[in-house]
Parts: sequence; C-alpha cells; structure tokens
Amino acid sequence: MAMVVNSIRERTITENSMVILLQGLQGEVTTVDLRNESTARGRVVNVDAFMNVRLEDVLYRDRRGQLTQLQDLFITGRNIRYVHIPDHMDIMKTIESQLAKIHRVRNFGSEGGGRKEFAKKTK
Amino acid sequence: MVLLKNLHPPTEGVRHEQAETTAVLDGQRLGCGTLYVAETRLSWFDSSGLGFSLEYPSIGLHAISRDVSAYPQEHLYVMVNGKLNSEANSDGGDDDEDEGAITEIRFVPSNKAALESMFSAMCECQALHPDPEDDDSDNDFEGEEYDVEEHGHADIPTFYTCDEGLSALTQEGQATLERLEGMLAQSVAQQYHMAGVRTEETKAEFEDGMEVDTAAMEAGQFEDADVEHW
Repeated sequence: MAMVVNSIRERTITENSMVILLQGLQGEVTTVDLRNESTARGRVVNVDAFMNVRLEDVLYRDRRGQLTQLQDLFITGRNIRYVHIPDHMDIMKTIESQLAKIHRVRNFGSEGGGRKEFAKKTK
Repeated sequence: MVLLKNLHPPTEGVRHEQAETTAVLDGQRLGCGTLYVAETRLSWFDSSGLGFSLEYPSIGLHAISRDVSAYPQEHLYVMVNGKLNSEANSDGGDDDEDEGAITEIRFVPSNKAALESMFSAMCECQALHPDPEDDDSDNDFEGEEYDVEEHGHADIPTFYTCDEGLSALTQEGQATLERLEGMLAQSVAQQYHMAGVRTEETKAEFEDGMEVDTAAMEAGQFEDADVEHW
C-alpha cells in the first residue's frame, strides 16, 4: 500500500520529525499505548504527519483490562503515549527508506517522470 | 441523564450521512436517528430534531466493532475525551481529561455494510483537525519546500505532486503552467536577478523538481507584472 502524504506541509512535518519512523511501520503488527492507559494491538494501516494511527484487526484492551476485538481502529495522535517498534525492525534503515520515498516524490519531475509535454525545456 | 439540544444538522461539508442509526451514549440508548459525518463536526439527530454534536479535537478514537461478544450489534464506536454535557468539554477541558473521564458512544446503523464508509469518513474528517496544542516545535516550517499556504498565497489552488495531477489541469491551468515554467527556465538562466530584484538565497534550494511549487512562488511575485515584457 502506497504511503499517503497529502500535502507539502505534511511532507515537511514528516521529514522533520520522528513520525517518519512510525510511517515505516505500515504493515507491521504492533502495540499502541494510549494516554488513557488503554492499549491497542493490531496491524498498522497508516500513520499520518499528525501521528494519527490507523490499525486493523485490533485487540483493544481498555483501562479496566477488558478486551475487545475491533476490525478497524483510528487513534487520534493526541491520544497516543507510545507506539511500540517491533524488535525485528531496523530503525535507521526504516527512516532512510522513508526519507528516500519522500525525495522520490519531490524529485519526480526532474527524474524524467510525469507527462512529457510538461517536461522542463532547459535543464 | 443526557440533555439533547435542538441543534441544526450540518448542511456543508457532509462527507457521510447515515440514516436509521441508533445512538448509544455511555450505555444509554438515545433512539433512532441520522448520523452526519461533516468536516466541521460529528452530529447525530433523531426525527424530532434533538441530538448532539461532537468536535473532532475531543474525539480520542473511533473504530468498527464487529465483535458481538463484546456488544451484541456491529457498530461504530467513538471515544470522546471528557464528558459530553460538562462545560469544560470544549478546548479548555483539561481538568476533565486529567481525570481521564471519557464518553463512549456507539452508532449502530441498521445497514451494517455502511460501517466502513462511516469509519472512513470519520478518518478523513479527523485528519482535518490536527492537534493545535502539539508541543513539538519541529512542526514549524523549516524545510526546503516552499509552502505557499504558509506564506499567505492561499488563493493559489492546490498543488499536484504527480502525473495524474498534471493531467487534471484545465486548459487554462496548462497554459499557466507552461508560462510559469518558461519564466522559471529564464530565471534560472538569469541566476539571481528577477525583475531587477536581487534575491539572496541560492536558487538551487528550490530546484527540487516540484515545478509547480517553485513557479508558484514566482507567480506571487509577478502577479501584477506584464509577463510579455520578459
């Protein structure tokens, strides 16, 4: 699934903060600790620049310890205390590859991508 | 007891509307009504016009629950920070939130297949309301890309960043793009002189392939200039 970055502002925020690492968690199963002491464990569908996290196939444990299964879950960034990074993940490599993706999008035109009629006439 | 107010359903920016939806607030069934997922707020109204509204910044999470062992009906679960009827429920509701008070709302549509659309619409609207109290000062614009919105040229339309976007330009848009690119090509040749104004920054910083962005900066500068005089 392609990374969804919706605006210049979001790209700027992302490449200047650790959110970029969380975006590399797409497809991984991990646990998110919320500020209200509840936790959610599921597969990361998407993390946006504001640290809103979308999970699927989730096991949600509320503050009292009660377990619920949720098909899809969207957690507002403000409500997140921790996001666990799976042990098998290479953090530096993940960050580097996410940065590379952003730079590929940004340099799309100059690398010869895009419609030819809009290509730069002088280089 | 929940106080339902006589409010008006939103008319603009409604991403999803779901009729025949029961609302359950902290375990109390409020009856059957219509859920409105609008860009400004999330609201629910019954047939007599009574209902409630939620501000997205107050929503902690939302989810699709199909686990009938936890709750007998498939529904959209929404967790709100704070209590619904307290005066402190707007942005300054810190006391309530420190205590960890929450409100649990379940929207149970008669059409279970609609749950995914309801959920997606809420995701989209939630993303429109990022946390303004974010402590992370790195979120301030420091990057290399020129963000037109931040520099006040909000009237310039959204920028596209890929092939599909370029082909979505109208004829006028394409002509504008070609004109701006022509200006850009000339400006690169002239290095630091633009209509007699010397710029201090290295142009290379803005040569990042995002043609439309860089051109837009110049468009702002030359709004009142006669382009033919190049």
